Amino acid sequence: MTRSERLRRFFEIVPGFMTWSTILGLVAFSVFKPLWVAVFIICFDLYWVIRVGYFTTLLVFAYRRLNAEKKTDWIKKCKSLEGQGILSYDSVYHAVLFPSYKEGPEVLTASINALLDSNYDKNKMIVALTVEERAGDACWENAKGLQKKFSDKFFEFIITRHPDGLKGEAKTKGANATWGAAIIKEFIDSKKIDYEHVVMSCFDADTCAEKEYFACLTYHYITNPKRTRSSYQPIPVYNNNIWYARSIARVIELGSSFMQMIETMRLEKFVTFSSHSMSFKTLVDVGYWPVDMISDDSVIYWKCFLYFDGDYSVIPMYVTVSLDVATEKAIIPTIIKQYKQKRRWAWGVENFPYLMMGFVKNKNIPLLKKIRRGFHLFESHYTWAVWAIIVTFIAPLPLIFGGGIFRQTAMGYSLPSVAAALFRITTLTLFICMLMSIKLLPPRPKDVKRQKKLVMFTQWILAPLLAAFVGSTPAIDAQTRLMLGKYMHFQVTEKIRHGVTTN
Amino acid sequence: MNKSDIVIRYIAFSFSLALYLTLLPIILSYSLGYHIDFHKFIIYKTGILSLRSTPSGASIYIDGKLIPDVTPARIEELRPGTYSVEVKKEGLFPWQKDLTVRSNMVTRAENILLFPILQMTEKVSDRETDDFFIPDDRSQIYYMTKTGLYKSNIDGANPRKLSSYSSWPSGILGKKLSPDGKKILYFNENGIWVIYLNDLRSIANGNAAEVEEVLKSSNIIKDVFWHSGSNHIVFVAGRDIDILEIGKGGGKNIVTLNKCSRQPKGLYYDVYNDSFYFNDSPSGKSILYRIDLREKLFEKFMERIKKEFDIIYDQK
Repeated sequence: MTRSERLRRFFEIVPGFMTWSTILGLVAFSVFKPLWVAVFIICFDLYWVIRVGYFTTLLVFAYRRLNAEKKTDWIKKCKSLEGQGILSYDSVYHAVLFPSYKEGPEVLTASINALLDSNYDKNKMIVALTVEERAGDACWENAKGLQKKFSDKFFEFIITRHPDGLKGEAKTKGANATWGAAIIKEFIDSKKIDYEHVVMSCFDADTCAEKEYFACLTYHYITNPKRTRSSYQPIPVYNNNIWYARSIARVIELGSSFMQMIETMRLEKFVTFSSHSMSFKTLVDVGYWPVDMISDDSVIYWKCFLYFDGDYSVIPMYVTVSLDVATEKAIIPTIIKQYKQKRRWAWGVENFPYLMMGFVKNKNIPLLKKIRRGFHLFESHYTWAVWAIIVTFIAPLPLIFGGGIFRQTAMGYSLPSVAAALFRITTLTLFICMLMSIKLLPPRPKDVKRQKKLVMFTQWILAPLLAAFVGSTPAIDAQTRLMLGKYMHFQVTEKIRHGVTTN
Repeated sequence: MNKSDIVIRYIAFSFSLALYLTLLPIILSYSLGYHIDFHKFIIYKTGILSLRSTPSGASIYIDGKLIPDVTPARIEELRPGTYSVEVKKEGLFPWQKDLTVRSNMVTRAENILLFPILQMTEKVSDRETDDFFIPDDRSQIYYMTKTGLYKSNIDGANPRKLSSYSSWPSGILGKKLSPDGKKILYFNENGIWVIYLNDLRSIANGNAAEVEEVLKSSNIIKDVFWHSGSNHIVFVAGRDIDILEIGKGGGKNIVTLNKCSRQPKGLYYDVYNDSFYFNDSPSGKSILYRIDLREKLFEKFMERIKKEFDIIYDQK
């Protein structure tokens, strides 16, 4: 093992080690020093309640902003900028890449139809569908069918087959996307289009972009003086199959959407997530997505961040892209599916050793910036892994292990009532989430009963229970695997649309 | 992100931070049992008094002063010391105790039971009753009266005459229902009686039970127990531990299981295991003994006795 490999391994161990040290340390201290743990729990509970309150405030403002910007005519805004010496909007091309595995034609057709429904000039859109060779011939035939159907609707509709087992590649979406981007590059080169005039959107196969998405993206791109030093992040909502999904899955995915809305208000911590866009020039400059990492959506941001010596940011766009809720027909398989999806997201912790190694090599990024960004990344994964465990399972331990003596102390007597009083405040957040989730719902399909809307409201009762059991465990699982060097493989989330199942 | 968003975020963050830094010392000191006197800018240690009463909603007086809280109550910020605590509710006897409050600790009085001043006494039956018996399952009341044996439901309803027997002995020491629920024994110092409860459906009113005197003893009977089979009675009379076989008609078999050095003490019969426990002091030292009367053992025991008799008979 070289020094670099040892160092990388060290950074892989750090998050899991810190998480387990916290959990086991608190359990041990609950036995020997229950009073210390009780004091810690009150400090943490108060921190968590205020943090929830703070996030709720940001969520409300982000939601207001999303609503306000819905009314914006982005094309008109782009046109109004003509002649002001900035990049002309009609010189901008959009390359939309769909790396796919076994998603059926009905999933991809819906995503491509969403592009057709957009109010942007389709002659400025290059659509590329890159299919995994290992998905089989049927998938390739589906891709051909889609090309036949849509080839005359866009400037270009490219399909390509990503060969399996290329040297240095892992079985990841990033490898497929990189292959597709290289094919797009060949096309752009053949048309002699300036890379800076092309905006690359890498979409999951189930991503249905909002009508205004590309106009909004164009506006932000042409008005941004540092357009090639930014990624452009829409708000993901999981509306495609929300009326047909299980309540458990809906609550978890809506929680993810809300979290993403909150992140749009915390720019200094904002990182790309799921479907997003960036300058094609940037993508070519940095050498596309890493081909051996699972968290391609966030790691591309860190790759750019390191490449541009920390001078790289994410611009939030208050437009939505709609994705599928990871659901199943029964409850237990839904929980398992959600767990696996969240574990894959939590595997984003692999970005920590990647970033740390990048910081070691890069001497141009200011130390303070390195510390700040490194800490933010570490803290987000660490908090994800410990919060639900502390709040739910560690909090009662001082009373259990402290015994009668501890329960006779003022702290032992007060702890349950103080914790309960603090968490009662968070019901307000739950109520806000209830209201917001109703507002974000797509129209109810005709075959769905009217009463389902009531379920959409009451489903939030499940939130505390889900937070307790699946709030932290996927993150602990992912961090433990990274710590032990048992690296995860990319697992595609199976898509279910109203009874139709597809990979 | 426009400027207003940045301002909003800055304000929200600053407010959250300030809130945390303000609330944390207050909540922590409260939880740890400290009180901050904002007028005098001093922190002092306090204790907590936790009061719970049945029924709840009782007024609380501490050192004679009514506090604006009712039970169940958590009275905080009490300086360490001893307080006279009184819990009162109209129509109930008050509860009073001197409770010591220690710093950072909780003093609990959580089992306060307030009894009604006017007890509800009600008549169960108008019948003149010499004695009565309520089995452990509290399903019936048996009335031993001068006109016979009666039974009713536990609330006195549905009375029924079981037998005209009325010669109840004086000084009844105990009454016990047999494990099969078909017999009741009662005893005094000189005798044991058994009431056989017949099937009420098949027997006319007034003849549903028969009473039999099963033993008259010259020794003083101390206690009597049912064997699990409901056909034998284990009893202690004088220094002897005897077993008596019951049944209608014919003679009664009595076997002395043990002759103690003095009247046995601390008698206990385990009906689930048919074991009899008693204290005896054959060598001056009081020791706990057990007689195993489980059926198989009992049969063996009886066989052994029979053999002994056979040997005596043969010898004769």
